Amino acid sequence: MARTLRRLTPAQGALPIIVLWALPLAASVLMLLPAIAEPDAWRQLQSHPQLWSALVLSLATGGGASVLALLMSVLVLAGLDRSRALPQLQALAAAGLALPHLAFAIGFGFLIMPTGLIARLIEGGTTPPPWVTVQDPWGLSLMLALALKELPFLLIAALAALARGDGTGRLTQERRVAASLGHGAGSVWLRVVLPQLLPSLRWPLVIVFVYGATVVDMALVLGPTQPPTLAVVIWHALNHADATVNGMGLAMTLVLTSVLAALVATTLLLLQVTLPRLRHWLCAGPSLLAAPRGMAVVTGTIAGLLMLAAILLLALLSVTPRWPYPALMPPAVTFAAWTTLGSSAAPLWLSLLLAAMTALVALGLALLWFETQPEGRDRWLIGLALATLALPQLAVAGGQYRLFLGLGLTGTLPGLFLAHLTPVAAYVLIILQGPYRAFDSRYMMAARSLSVPASTAWLQVKLSLLRAPVLTAAAIGFAVSMAQFVPAQLIAAGRYSTLPMEAVTLSAGGNRPLTAAFALCLAAPPLAAFLAASLLGRPRWR
Amino acid sequence: METTGMTFTLTRRGLIQLLAATPLAGRARAGEAWDGIVAEARGQTVYFNAWAGSPQINAYIAWVGEALQRRHDITLEHVKLADTAEAVRRVRDEVTAGRAGSADLLWINGENFRVLKAEKLLFGPFAEDLPNFALVDVAGKPTTRIDFAEATAGLESPWGMAQLTFFADGAKLPTPPLSMPELLELARSAPGRITYPAPPDFHGTTFIKQALAETMADRALLPVQIGRQAFTEAAKPLFEFLDALHPELWRNGKQFPQTQAQMTQMLADGELLVGLTFNPNEPANLVATGTLPSSTIAWQNRGGTIGNTHFVAIPINSTARQAAQVTANFLLSPEAQARKADLAIWGDPTVLDMAKLTPEDRALFTSAAAPGSVTQPAPAIPEPHGSWVPLIEAAWLERYGA
Repeated sequence: MARTLRRLTPAQGALPIIVLWALPLAASVLMLLPAIAEPDAWRQLQSHPQLWSALVLSLATGGGASVLALLMSVLVLAGLDRSRALPQLQALAAAGLALPHLAFAIGFGFLIMPTGLIARLIEGGTTPPPWVTVQDPWGLSLMLALALKELPFLLIAALAALARGDGTGRLTQERRVAASLGHGAGSVWLRVVLPQLLPSLRWPLVIVFVYGATVVDMALVLGPTQPPTLAVVIWHALNHADATVNGMGLAMTLVLTSVLAALVATTLLLLQVTLPRLRHWLCAGPSLLAAPRGMAVVTGTIAGLLMLAAILLLALLSVTPRWPYPALMPPAVTFAAWTTLGSSAAPLWLSLLLAAMTALVALGLALLWFETQPEGRDRWLIGLALATLALPQLAVAGGQYRLFLGLGLTGTLPGLFLAHLTPVAAYVLIILQGPYRAFDSRYMMAARSLSVPASTAWLQVKLSLLRAPVLTAAAIGFAVSMAQFVPAQLIAAGRYSTLPMEAVTLSAGGNRPLTAAFALCLAAPPLAAFLAASLLGRPRWR
Repeated sequence: METTGMTFTLTRRGLIQLLAATPLAGRARAGEAWDGIVAEARGQTVYFNAWAGSPQINAYIAWVGEALQRRHDITLEHVKLADTAEAVRRVRDEVTAGRAGSADLLWINGENFRVLKAEKLLFGPFAEDLPNFALVDVAGKPTTRIDFAEATAGLESPWGMAQLTFFADGAKLPTPPLSMPELLELARSAPGRITYPAPPDFHGTTFIKQALAETMADRALLPVQIGRQAFTEAAKPLFEFLDALHPELWRNGKQFPQTQAQMTQMLADGELLVGLTFNPNEPANLVATGTLPSSTIAWQNRGGTIGNTHFVAIPINSTARQAAQVTANFLLSPEAQARKADLAIWGDPTVLDMAKLTPEDRALFTSAAAPGSVTQPAPAIPEPHGSWVPLIEAAWLERYGA
């Protein structure tokens, strides 16, 4: 494969991803333009009383969650730097990452709401306390849940970047140099490790922000309602039967996406300008700053425990039809939800197959692109990928549906596959771009100078050294595919049933045991994928 | 104008029925035509796009599929929806693109029907030619032919009845509030324990319609088209009532649950005192599944509550129209309606007229009252004309939304 890779022209290397991913995606977005051009849509948008307050709420929850998640992950990574707990941390983070957002929201919600476990433990009494925890008007519980849920994602992305085989050796030497100059462990991490880590984390961080500002399912459970976040307003509008209301939803989408794009661009630009000024600070010292081990352990433990509590509560809720306040244990247990879930296995198999196929194909497409294209062209692809993640799924899928209708792809397996590939390839590209492009090409040169054939060098040196980020990207792709429900419903017109589609349609009835059971079931395959990726991705030479 | 159109349809329909019923030849022709449809339906697959948020409903639809396969050689595929509007958009896009339909039968009513009818996306009229339509209680349940003040015009076939119903734990609330003013009093005595879902959630809008119907001076305005100005005038008492109610509600009426399902959960968890539903049998059903305690009580406001009918319709681009009609007809059969009305199965009230059934068929409907059943049913107040809804939602959002 690698030999043929070398012989491919840039055009040949770019064609597959353009044909299978970029073009359909761009065309789907273009299909939405006629509706956005309707003046009626904009009139409705202007007169919507919640537009601006909802927009501010979206930006605040998304932005706050990103900052919080970044701070927590930096603290944990710096504190547990080179500790023996890192593999365990990776496994924990994998579990947290595998848990669907909605599942975490339900579990976390049952912890903090007025009738939740914490209230039962500390308040008691016959009526629940008037706590304003879930659905608080400021969106704080949503922000906190988002930050906690994104922490594992940032940790996994950071650990994968740090585990890159080509970088570890150099990093170790640089650390040694810094330490011999008298820097404390914390100072070494801040001045040596973090500056090399942040570029790899740039796009994952943007994902966290964009995801947080556009998430619907979590906001429906934990977010405020008057006004709700803009993503929820858009979701209601896009779900409407009336085409003019759909148009207003699309116009709002354009507003939200433009504001997000402008914010991301400004922030990146500001960082580009200000970061070099920090050189002075980076070279300062020596400082005896110690690694924040205690704080890292506390932060990590609290986050881990909350995650664990959410999972355990989900498991309990899945067998508890009724659990009234202030009972500390459910009065009765039934496995009805699991029986319903287990009654048909076909959706699970189809989902697993689709997830494995899309993750592999997306990985292949991404590698093909990175190997044949100059780095400067990445920004187009990354921009498109970020747009996919920022746009509401209903909007993208709506455009895709119209496109695929014309192509005769609706209601078919190839159509379903392409629709799953859209977000999967976007995630894989964004996750892989940083670590892959940062590869130290001198390793390849060294291999070639030892007369190793190009294909062998690529496979045994480059791919082997980049194993951790490549496998992590594939696992994330797998998990993203397992979470898709719109393609099966819209693009496949319900002809093929997937597990997430079953889960979403059944939870439309608000049956908590069923929702919890499905959420746990949806978490299992990605968890296996992440654990496999972190086991297989561990450097061999340590 | 809307009303004249409706009367015209009613008269024409009545005439056709009269003509079809009197001469034997006409009846025979109709029978022949139906036999042809049944014959053509054999071997077809019906993609039934239906909300799938309840395992009980899904199991019932699976049973319908088995029966149709056995008797008519029809394959029924339940395309599970979280939101019916999605099927509406799909049909619209398909018809615009000139493609064959992916849906053959839709479970709809209200707004979704109004849009599909207005955009001419429905096949028919077919509903009133179905043999079992003769059993429908069109006189006692006028909403079987008038969907949210919109004439069904034979474009959808009635399937089940719905009526706004409240429920609570009788152990905590022995005397339920039987009107909106009584609900306000209850909210005052138990601040923070009463609420309703925020519109545009369907149940939230219905709660407001109910308050509107109970507070407005002239209820005769409801079934007719309304303009902005007339609305402001008619809804004045409504907003006076809501202004008084909101400070007493959960979170002082500043936040609302997102859905009726969330509200039910909050009731079950003990945070709220009163829940609401559109299926009068849902509380009994929730007792049966263990979600609510057996002390649950259900009631309808004494002056009546908003009621409607849900239907099945066939998209104009369906490729299995015959089988879809046979399915709609089977759904109207006493056997299917009785099973659907059974609390242990689904508990969805029938659209049929018991007086029109044979004694054997009538015997199929053996619904004993169960814990959580409505003990004193109240009359149904027909849904307001569709023009009220956007005005209600906009005015509500304006006042309480931000």
